[in-house]
Amino acid sequence: MDQLFVVDLMAASVRIAAPLMLGALGGLVSERSGVFGVGIEGMMLAGAFGAAVGTFVSGSPMLGLLLALIAGALIASVVAIAVTSFRADQMVTGLAVNILAFGLTSFLLRGLFGGQAPAIRLATFGAIDIPFLSGLPVLGPILFHQSGLTYAAVAMALVLHLVIYRTRVGLTLRATGENPEAVYAAGNDPIRIRQIAVIVGGAISGLGGAVLSLQDVGTFTDGMTNGRGFLALAAVIVGRWTPFGVLVACLIFGVASALEVRLQGFDLPVSSYVIQMTPYVLALAVLAGLGRGTRMPQAIGKPFCA
Amino acid sequence: MANDPTAASVLVPSGATPDGRCINELFGRLAAAGGLYSAGRAVVAVLLAFAATAILILIAGKNPITAYWALLDGAFGSFDHITFALNKSTPYILTAVGVALCFRAQIINIGGEGQIAVGGLATSWVALNYANLPPVSAIALALAAGIAAGALWALIAVAIRLWRGVHEVLSTLLLNFVGVLLVSEALNGSMGEVGAGFPQSPMFDDAVCLPTLFTGSDLHVGLAIALVVAFAAQFLLWRTRFGFRLRLLGGSRAAAAYAGVSLAGGMMGVMMLGGGLAGLAGGIEVLGIHYRLIEGFSQGFGFTAVAVALLAAASPLAVIPAALFFGFLQAGALAMQREVGVPSSLVYVIQGLSIVFVLCAMGLDDRRRWA
Amino acid sequence: MPPLLEMQGIVKTYGAVRANHCIDLTVPEGRVIGLLGENGSGKSTLMKVLFGMTPPDAGRIVFRGQPLVGHSPREAIAAGIGMIHQHFTLVEAMTVAENAMLGWSEAGSILHPADIARRIDAASRTYGLPVDPHAVVATLSFGLRQRVEIVKAILRGAKLLILDEPTSNLSPPEVASLLGVIRRLKEAGHSVIFISHKLAEVIEICDEVVVLRDGAVSGRAPIGQVTREDLARMMVERDLSAPVTRNTREAGDVVLAVEDLSRHDAAGTTRLDRVTFSLRAGEILAVAGVDGNGQADLLDTLAGILPAHTGRVRIGTRDITRLSVRRRLAAGLAYIPVDRSGTSLVPGMTITDNLAMRDFNRMPLSWGPLLNITALRTQAGERIVAFDIRTADADAPTHTLSGGNQQKIVLAREIGRKPRLLLAFQPTWGLDPGAARFVIDQMLALRDAGCAVLYVSAELEEVLMLGDRIAVMSNGRLSSPEPRAAVNVTRIGLMMAGAA
Repeated sequence: MDQLFVVDLMAASVRIAAPLMLGALGGLVSERSGVFGVGIEGMMLAGAFGAAVGTFVSGSPMLGLLLALIAGALIASVVAIAVTSFRADQMVTGLAVNILAFGLTSFLLRGLFGGQAPAIRLATFGAIDIPFLSGLPVLGPILFHQSGLTYAAVAMALVLHLVIYRTRVGLTLRATGENPEAVYAAGNDPIRIRQIAVIVGGAISGLGGAVLSLQDVGTFTDGMTNGRGFLALAAVIVGRWTPFGVLVACLIFGVASALEVRLQGFDLPVSSYVIQMTPYVLALAVLAGLGRGTRMPQAIGKPFCA
Repeated sequence: MANDPTAASVLVPSGATPDGRCINELFGRLAAAGGLYSAGRAVVAVLLAFAATAILILIAGKNPITAYWALLDGAFGSFDHITFALNKSTPYILTAVGVALCFRAQIINIGGEGQIAVGGLATSWVALNYANLPPVSAIALALAAGIAAGALWALIAVAIRLWRGVHEVLSTLLLNFVGVLLVSEALNGSMGEVGAGFPQSPMFDDAVCLPTLFTGSDLHVGLAIALVVAFAAQFLLWRTRFGFRLRLLGGSRAAAAYAGVSLAGGMMGVMMLGGGLAGLAGGIEVLGIHYRLIEGFSQGFGFTAVAVALLAAASPLAVIPAALFFGFLQAGALAMQREVGVPSSLVYVIQGLSIVFVLCAMGLDDRRRWA
Repeated sequence: MPPLLEMQGIVKTYGAVRANHCIDLTVPEGRVIGLLGENGSGKSTLMKVLFGMTPPDAGRIVFRGQPLVGHSPREAIAAGIGMIHQHFTLVEAMTVAENAMLGWSEAGSILHPADIARRIDAASRTYGLPVDPHAVVATLSFGLRQRVEIVKAILRGAKLLILDEPTSNLSPPEVASLLGVIRRLKEAGHSVIFISHKLAEVIEICDEVVVLRDGAVSGRAPIGQVTREDLARMMVERDLSAPVTRNTREAGDVVLAVEDLSRHDAAGTTRLDRVTFSLRAGEILAVAGVDGNGQADLLDTLAGILPAHTGRVRIGTRDITRLSVRRRLAAGLAYIPVDRSGTSLVPGMTITDNLAMRDFNRMPLSWGPLLNITALRTQAGERIVAFDIRTADADAPTHTLSGGNQQKIVLAREIGRKPRLLLAFQPTWGLDPGAARFVIDQMLALRDAGCAVLYVSAELEEVLMLGDRIAVMSNGRLSSPEPRAAVNVTRIGLMMAGAA
């Protein structure tokens, strides 16, 4: 394994991690408010669909991105209302919404664009070189030669970090996930906060889906998220519910994915499928390692009665 | 805290009852109707889902009435159709019964897909390697292997839960992926069929495949097994000590502790049962439908089983009609797509919406009672 | 100078219960007013009304010259009333400074923790409340958390502070520290309403005392003009004529022997402090005490639900200290917990099932792995008749029954198995007088039949009515049980208030 291989691997890892990052960051917002992010998969899928359709119909990727945000938010709003106003069980609602999103996107793809897939063909986003920095050895190709949405993902982590830890909004968000009664006693409305958090999170996750359809593949296919949403959920937990932790966790999962393809050239005793298992086993191991009383938001999963 | 009547609960907001819970009177009263209420709730949820998807069909430029008619015809139109649908329902019945029993103990088991996968894997291995045994023994052994594999797979999740406190939803979810990948791994290795363009095992000997219920039809024995299992599970839940313990654990963990029922024991037992049933479903799929192990054969079963269990309000007997509903729905959807051009993925929309509506209704009923 | 707070004629009724009946309360500036009373005397309700959590049915509130009508807690805080609840509203995972900033618009949209930290330090120094603004609340002891709550209230400009049972979980040095803080608050011109059932502290820190009993003011006086005995009497005096026929009985052998039973909770606070007593067949040991003094811990530990950390428990000659719940059941122990809605009953399960909940694992209710449904039904039928449980159908879910009938199920189950020993925790809670009477009669009948009964209740009347011997639980400690005839109500009141 030479340097070229490693650089190429790392660059690919970052690229592969981008949708995960956005998906996970969206889930992070939701989980911090006390709502499980089981529906990330559905929100990402909806976002992927929205982005593809928006770009295809209007010719403008910006509109596609907007539609991705809206689609993710719409799916999330189902969760938000069911879980807060109806006090539906969070875990199973998330699962239901994933199924719903799968069905809706598949259906609309065929219903609106005809039966043959791929009905949508788009040019994928090219890489954007950051001037000067992309010329750096090693780091240049890895970090500064990525496409726009990847940069957006990293920027999102920074933005979320600032908002969550440095603003009143973020403080209230964190408090809602830990002790909604305290938030209520302080005069705020934890139910409203949770609803907004879930919907905003859904929009961000939708953007993660947009990465898939606009940046990676150039089209929309049924169920194209293919479990990334669950990996994103694992990343939230492995990343200990912090934006930068989540970023790192997604990168690690990205490495595992990137490795899988590249290792096929080598004669390794470990099969590619076992390598594909790595992200999931890793997530399980970290969860088990963290054990009881993981520093997760205390009030997560519990409906608030008021 | 909210259950301690002696705590001066100063944070009880107006509108709630003095002991601090939020109770919606209408649903509380409805819940007293028990089984009828749950069935009614499921039916209303499904009807609402159909109504909502009718709008979608209109958006796609088709007529909902013709679409639904094609759906019905595709499901029930002919003997072959019905057989197809019944076969499709079989794994749903088995897996959902397991999930339902877990729900009864307040345990959410969404590891169906992984458990089915490893169950199919174990069954296939036995089928390929022990085909020389007399047919009944071979089949029994193969299915037993499937059950054991599924139970063990679920046990991993429980162990992590009991030992390290990781919620079973997360562990079963993640293990799904690992289980499915294990199947792929096996198919690309020792169990794969050399020269096939697609990851699959060699076809099983006729002797090991499941016999059909009626000659000339495709309906295999699996359905009978599933029905027996559903009835057995109902008996288990209501007529045995184990079932009583499950219901106690599901009713109130505090009450269970008070009655001396151990959470760990109940959890392990019911999860292994659920995993074993899913494993059995996987085994039946490979022995009865595919006659080989195919990559991806377990896809989607786990989540559908959860939907079925929910619609059935976690009652094993009610799982039968709920599973049949989903099976016929999926069978009919394929025909609907062929004939009217309405995409079959509509089925998933109906499924997803039904679950959401049922969950909302349950959430309003503060006590979340199963019938 | 006009008083800081005037509450006049406050009336609040919950259904049939008159929680507050024409209560007047005046708090001058710079004074500490003690609000004394047992459970159910109306203290909490009065404060909820003051703080805006619930509107009064009648009466006026004037604070700082402004009337407070239909206000919410947020408005009460803005007006200058700060409430330190018994159960804190702090976010454990966040720091002290972050908790102070929560819901406090003065702290701005962008957070400046350094500023807040400085203000917290300033308040700390002024009022003698050292607290580290950067400490994570989860690491703080109960006493320190209380300080955080007080600092929060001060930062928000509270002129009147309401402290609701502030010393219930404090160690003696922490209590002294808190009293010091209250003095400093007084010197700085704040007023304090000090709600408590502990006489010693009230006498030490308050300028004036108001005693509530059964929803009305039973006495008020400046501190210098009352004795402890006066206060105790105002708190608990009631008509002691027991309209209940009691058979005199010779107590039999010792059924329950408890030695040095101690337990602490996960945070390290002692919940049971070397409890020692014995209980004989055919006698009722009634334990009085204000809630939260260790009663739940004692009973849950005796029942086997919580582990004991030191000490021994014996039933008859058998040491059961390490035995499981099931084994204790088998040894003849019955337990009526206080919580009907989720511990002693499962509301969603049928009456039949709830009746079988504690014995389903053994013959005759089960044969091997199977339940004996016939036996279950027969038992249910018998119990329903024997205890007059009003229901049309033994298979109805329990939550459809009234509170009284639900409690009858619990009684039927625990008493119906003819136990050697019954632990009863507030069994009449939430019941109408008729149902409560039924329970009491059952207790007496059980005792007459030779069972040993440990009856724990915050209702002093019941304790006095039922107990052959009477003890008081306070701060995790059990007083030496005394025969009923030798008991002096005032002294009981003092013991309950931790002052004897």
